[in-house]
Amino acid sequence: MPVAAPPVPEVNPLREGLEQERVPEASCLVIFGASGDLTHRKLLPALYSLTHDGLLPAGLTIVGFSRPDYTDDAFRAEIKEACNKYSRTRPVDDAIWENFAKGLFYVKGEFGEAESYVRLKQRLEECDRTRGTGGRRLYYLAVPPAFFPVISDILGSQGMVTDPEKGGPYTRVIIEKPFGHDLASAKELNRVAVTTFRERQVFRIDHYLGKETVQNLLVLRFANGIFEPFWNRQYIDHVQFTVAESIGVEGRGGYFDSAGITRDIVQNHMLQLVSLVAMEPPVAFEADAIRDEKVKVIRALRSLPVERQTEFVVRGQYGEGSALGEKAVGYRNEPSVPPESRTETFVAIKAFVDNWRWADVPFYIRAGKRMPKRVTDISIHFRPAPNPLFRRVPGVRVQPNILAIRIQPDEGISLKFDSKVPGPAVRSAPVTMEFRYATSFGGEPPEAYERLLLETMLGDSTLFARRDEVEAAWAWLDPLLAAWAGDGEPALYPAGTWGPPEADLLLERDGRRWRRP
Amino acid sequence: MSEAGREGGRGIMPSEDLRVDVGAIERSLSEIWRNQNRDEAVTRAALWNVIAHTCTSDEHANAAEVLCEASASVPQRTVIIRSDPRAKAELTSWIGVNCHPINGDKQVCSEEIAIIAGGELVHRVPPLMNSLLIPDMPVAVWWVGDLPHEDEAYVHAMLDPADRLIIDSAAFDSPADLALLTKIAEQTTTAPADLNWVRLEEWRLAAASIFDAREMRPRLQSVRRIRIVATASSDAPPFGENVGALYFAAWLSVQGGLTAATTDYQFERRLHTRGGGIAFVEISFEDGTSATIRRDRERSVLTSAIDGVERTPEAVTRSLLNRPHELISRQLKQPEADRMLVKSLPAAAQIATRMVR
Repeated sequence: MPVAAPPVPEVNPLREGLEQERVPEASCLVIFGASGDLTHRKLLPALYSLTHDGLLPAGLTIVGFSRPDYTDDAFRAEIKEACNKYSRTRPVDDAIWENFAKGLFYVKGEFGEAESYVRLKQRLEECDRTRGTGGRRLYYLAVPPAFFPVISDILGSQGMVTDPEKGGPYTRVIIEKPFGHDLASAKELNRVAVTTFRERQVFRIDHYLGKETVQNLLVLRFANGIFEPFWNRQYIDHVQFTVAESIGVEGRGGYFDSAGITRDIVQNHMLQLVSLVAMEPPVAFEADAIRDEKVKVIRALRSLPVERQTEFVVRGQYGEGSALGEKAVGYRNEPSVPPESRTETFVAIKAFVDNWRWADVPFYIRAGKRMPKRVTDISIHFRPAPNPLFRRVPGVRVQPNILAIRIQPDEGISLKFDSKVPGPAVRSAPVTMEFRYATSFGGEPPEAYERLLLETMLGDSTLFARRDEVEAAWAWLDPLLAAWAGDGEPALYPAGTWGPPEADLLLERDGRRWRRP
Repeated sequence: MSEAGREGGRGIMPSEDLRVDVGAIERSLSEIWRNQNRDEAVTRAALWNVIAHTCTSDEHANAAEVLCEASASVPQRTVIIRSDPRAKAELTSWIGVNCHPINGDKQVCSEEIAIIAGGELVHRVPPLMNSLLIPDMPVAVWWVGDLPHEDEAYVHAMLDPADRLIIDSAAFDSPADLALLTKIAEQTTTAPADLNWVRLEEWRLAAASIFDAREMRPRLQSVRRIRIVATASSDAPPFGENVGALYFAAWLSVQGGLTAATTDYQFERRLHTRGGGIAFVEISFEDGTSATIRRDRERSVLTSAIDGVERTPEAVTRSLLNRPHELISRQLKQPEADRMLVKSLPAAAQIATRMVR
């Protein structure tokens, strides 16, 4: 009687206990838009750093696909230069590079031309034969969203996409934001995606989710016993989110003017932060369990009353001013921006998550360009302690405790509380307990793209936005964006300030103020 | 305090270690912090209590330098103990601060305490050491040099508060040291950590890369021979020089599900001034094919190749930095016991026993 062969272990047992216990199987990663900025500054430097750290399989093959004419060697030379400039593990180690470069190829092609895909397919099949990639495919669409339907159609018609329901090697597609321009376009994009791919093959990158500090939100909340009991309307007065950039539109004037800060930052990054702060504990540390809870938060966001929007929303646009000591032109004088543009470069929103945990707790959200500094910060403002004990003590002013989570830069967490000032008199002053990643753990954390690319290869979609999350976010913002399209002007603020005075008023009306991050 | 620490802390903290009364160590450390220059951005930090146990002044100086450098990436309260029962009876202490720059002009500082004990006063060291630990922070004892298996009671007294014991088995002089380490792992709550094992990480990564491809995984169970060539400082090298190769063979066997009955272990030596490192590994399979890992010193990488499998390209693993402070830091960055070492230790001790026979 024949003896059955032992089952193939799902994971390599020799990886157990090593820093990365799971290494993805060798695959072909095709980057559409390989000549672009994202590929040079982020994607290939991230892939090189992963290789440097031994986190990728030997056979990983990267094929750049775009319009300019490069030979494989010319493409490699250009990418080496980019890795030397931008990779976390720079300068490039020649021995590691040499091996990495052996898996780096280039195919010249037009996104809308089927013949180009025939050449691409031939190259991929050749890699299957020589590099053990086994028909596994990752398509990274580092291209404007308009190309997504075209590329996905041709990939499908050329037989370059497998169906996970039928087994066999995987095909995954990675798409970059913006995931649409409004709800209708997002739905259309998602519809197009699922005509060629199944939802679980689609990985929507929001690079904020690859940041260590954003992932730490889950650990902070659910791995510590002290925070969760207080994480609700009984103890929290309000929550503030700030995503501030000191730069202007930096050569992206054309794109930015058609989008605005709400589409560019709030619809994706900020609502991801809101959902991570407000979500209920997931039933498991698994992609869908986590995303199920996140989407519930976005769906629970109270509709913004468009007719009374000034009570809830402030939109602004930067005028002339100075940024980091340099003179800065106003938004309407930026290259490629129409002089009459009404696009918002700043937005502040007072939002409510209408569920049991957060009823009537304001979530103040603000995002802006040309602010005094680049910072992303979340602060949880606790309700003040009842004050009868110190009411008649003149030196004691009871102040709310604040838990501040700094996403970037100088990542860390601080807790502000009152302490007695040493001396015979009873006086209090606020002090902070600080945790800083750099102080406690040293070194540089991996780049967000490194983590996200690795997770895609491993097929784990926890850190990617799901279709329903994207659509729910658009559904919340759509009425506001539609109203803005109709009329009204953004309030002007000088470059280098924290936004228009109306943004301060938004909180002052509630007896609160923005925390200076 | 080492020069590296002084460089970082110049102008902020005292430039020389301060001799202080044994009973006044904590108070004196607090005074240093109170007296610091308020204009400087200094952060006092600690993730670990690290106690280095040394016997000689050379070991003491070396441990101080290594831990000062390690504190740049893992802030810690460092306690360096020089304990010599044969020396004159004395118990003295010094304090200092190791500072390292981060983000430009900010500095992160770790405290360092040195205790020198001689004669009968060495018995006062364990309780004194206990009183100097920062609460709620894990404790690592780095035993510099050979583990004194002949004085187990003393070892256990020193390890009483320790969550982790760090040793370097390259300094072992007998298989009994390996047996003691196995016993500590099995019978105490102190998790062993071995710098010699950490040095193997690049070899483990390179070996793992051979079996990353799905089609290679079943072949792990058909390994029939493991041949390891290691460098040796002499024809009859000290026992510690064999431990790296023993660990590698033990780990591969444990993780691959290999048994002594079906696997042939071959250990070979190649004379080299710096003994004890693995230079080449050959893993032979049942079907006569083999995989090899070799170090390419010129390119600072390890290359893994599989004979007979053309579809998988050669894997290149970067050589890791293995200076002592880097090995210590990598250990301290592991939040938990290294379960692979704990799993491999008994098998390594068994293979060692067979080798001695």
